[in-house]
Amino acid sequence: MLKQIFTWWNGTTFGTSFTLFRRRARLVGKDGQGNRYYEEADPSSPDGHPRRWVLYHGVAEASRVPADWHGWLHHTFSAPPTDEPLVRRDWEKDHLPNMTGTPLAYRPKGSLARVGVSPGVPDVYEPWTPDAG
Amino acid sequence: MSDTRVIKVNGEEVEVPTDLTLLQACEIAGEEIPRFCYHERLSVAGNCRMCLIEVKGGPPKPVASCAQNVRDLRPGPDGSPPELFTNTPMVKKAREGVMEFLLINHPLDCPICDQGGECDLQDQAMAYGRDGSRYTENKRAVEEKYMGPLIKTIMTRCIQCTRCVRFATEVAGVDDLGLVNRGENAEITTYLEKAVQSELTGNLIDICPVGALTSRPYAFNARPWELKKTQTIDAMDAMGANIRVDSRGREILRILPRLHEDVNEEWISDKTRFIWDGLKRQRLDKPFVRENGKLRPARWDEALGLVAEKLGATPADRIGALVGDLVSAESMKALKDLMAGLGVKHIDCRQDGAPLGEGGAGRAGYLFNSGFAGVEAADAILLVGTNPRAEAPVLNARIRKAWIGNLGLKIGLVGEAADLTYGYEHLGAGPGDLISAFEMLDGAERPMVILGMGALARADGRAVLKAVASLAASRNVVREGWNGFNVLHTAAARVAGLDLGLVPGEGGLDFAGILKAARDRDLDVIYNLGADEFEGRDLGGAFVIYQGHHGDAGARTADVILPGAAYTEQNGVYVNAEGRAQIASRAYFPFGDAREDWAIIRALSDRLASKLVGPLPYDDLFALRQAMIADAPSLGRVDEGPTGEEPLDLGALGVEGPLDGAAFRYAVDNFWFTNPIARASETMAECARAMAGVEKVAAEESVR
Repeated sequence: MLKQIFTWWNGTTFGTSFTLFRRRARLVGKDGQGNRYYEEADPSSPDGHPRRWVLYHGVAEASRVPADWHGWLHHTFSAPPTDEPLVRRDWEKDHLPNMTGTPLAYRPKGSLARVGVSPGVPDVYEPWTPDAG
Repeated sequence: MSDTRVIKVNGEEVEVPTDLTLLQACEIAGEEIPRFCYHERLSVAGNCRMCLIEVKGGPPKPVASCAQNVRDLRPGPDGSPPELFTNTPMVKKAREGVMEFLLINHPLDCPICDQGGECDLQDQAMAYGRDGSRYTENKRAVEEKYMGPLIKTIMTRCIQCTRCVRFATEVAGVDDLGLVNRGENAEITTYLEKAVQSELTGNLIDICPVGALTSRPYAFNARPWELKKTQTIDAMDAMGANIRVDSRGREILRILPRLHEDVNEEWISDKTRFIWDGLKRQRLDKPFVRENGKLRPARWDEALGLVAEKLGATPADRIGALVGDLVSAESMKALKDLMAGLGVKHIDCRQDGAPLGEGGAGRAGYLFNSGFAGVEAADAILLVGTNPRAEAPVLNARIRKAWIGNLGLKIGLVGEAADLTYGYEHLGAGPGDLISAFEMLDGAERPMVILGMGALARADGRAVLKAVASLAASRNVVREGWNGFNVLHTAAARVAGLDLGLVPGEGGLDFAGILKAARDRDLDVIYNLGADEFEGRDLGGAFVIYQGHHGDAGARTADVILPGAAYTEQNGVYVNAEGRAQIASRAYFPFGDAREDWAIIRALSDRLASKLVGPLPYDDLFALRQAMIADAPSLGRVDEGPTGEEPLDLGALGVEGPLDGAAFRYAVDNFWFTNPIARASETMAECARAMAGVEKVAAEESVR
């Protein structure tokens, strides 16, 4: 609760909550991570759509929104995935948020920042070994 | 050079010397003339026709500006200055036409050509060529030629400028290249499919304006724009050639020459240029410690601790220090201070054992006093115990240049007869022939003696030095405004070492003496800073510390190995044989756990602080350099060549003694294997085999 008052990057801010209340937004559904999705009662956006929101469960990080909910938020789909789930192919991977800036960030092979792996690029030189004479 | 003449270039009046060509005159006037066959250091061929310009009042056709002199221009009808034009429609059309002809048979393979990005034809086709081609017939194709293990040939790309032929015959002095047939069938060839027998073949790659001759070891490795270019100094011989090291990330990819008129002009030897694969092999990348007779990898902590313990516990008179041939002046200074702090007297940098830097002869007693450029001023050159072709190929090319340019130049050689690429008089083989050989210098105005390590690095070296010095004095080799007494070193580090006084002090042992004492168990600890040119693995029971960058003779005898940096991996001062201090820069970092040499010694001094007065008093390279320059002021005079003014007392050189009758043996018996880097290099091994004629590496099979 304190976090919600003093920080903007945890869950929702007070302003957003107030907006949701003022616009009489209704809860449409939840995704696997606990993020909640809202839609206002009376369409107020200039193009006539009802405005839609996501309230993050935890860190407010846009890439945490999975593809199906992302499509709903951006009005690609009119019906939420809870009503009309996207067809899921067997080659699809689970949704993964952007890890840049975290310890789990992707480091390419040879990166100096790669943890636990020697950064040495062995092709550049051949070390001498005593047994070679 | 004396008389000048006023000419007009594009309407602007300039005054130029009459012996210049029109091309050079236009350049003085600030007009760039495109050219392929013309090269400042080669004879004029005039066969590419790219340098056509318009001469007013001349023949009604464009003139090849590289092949006509300013002297031959006709003045205007009313005595007005002759006029040249480089920007008229006629010139533009002429250039476009020539370029179109050149491109008729040039393949369109720039995307896969190694010259791409640094190709004269590419640049000039962009700047002076037509926008499209009108040629629809088939292009000709030319068979690849074999030119040795260093040069990759794609002869279809050749535009017959004949720069390579002229370089080989004029500068390198070998007749292996030529142009055969005529017209469309003209081809550059080595005639018999053999390697070009020269140590300067790499320069063919540089002077080739297109991608016909490219570097074989570098083939398909990189594009010029991805490389980091570092201007630095070569350490392969004592010339101190100015080079540019091209690297990508931590990888060295090639070495190119830089222009320095007084040192290497714009040539470098093949060893300098193609050594780079040796810098990637057999590298010491972590400390080693010998345990139960076997070397095992160790941490720096452990290795330095062990070294400090040994050095601290051993009395100073049972410690010896050896310094090798590739070491920078900074690390030598650090080692000198460390050893002086410990009170060690047995220290020597003269790995070959030449008795230089002794007595009161001063600095000029071990320098190439006339300077490399001075070779061209001499009128008699006596080579004593030196084969410059193997010891300093670029200097040899300069002697050849002097020999071509001065018909009166006499050259004599005392030592084994060798093919030096120029004519010389063979005046004897050993010390016994010195007296008669020096008669050659009689009457010469600028006599020059070049004394090689072959004459000095022997048991009677001091006596030979004495004999040569006194004979030189008798012929007035050192006279007003001319110092013709020259010592040609073979090691890049030697002059700096002698400047710093890394020679045994009173009662100290010299290089051979230290090795012998170690075998006789008179020394307990030996600190070996990069010295690899000695034979025998056994150094008695002595505890040997080897600090260096390649696993070679030194590393094999060592009990502790401290991995250092090679000359391309650390900033350091090198002094060439002339006494010219030059700064080498780091092109990339040392591999693995290896560190800069001076820093290792500084870290070691920290652990010996209680034994010394304290750690060495410098924490960075700048402070070290200041201390070094205070010690040897000559090291601070960067890029200052010999003045000829330095005092030289020839009488103080050497020691009177019996002369051995044996012939001089040259210091470099195999040009390709003179140091640990070269011995680690596959390219050098290939060159050695190809030059010995043992093996012909087929052009197709060795593309790597």
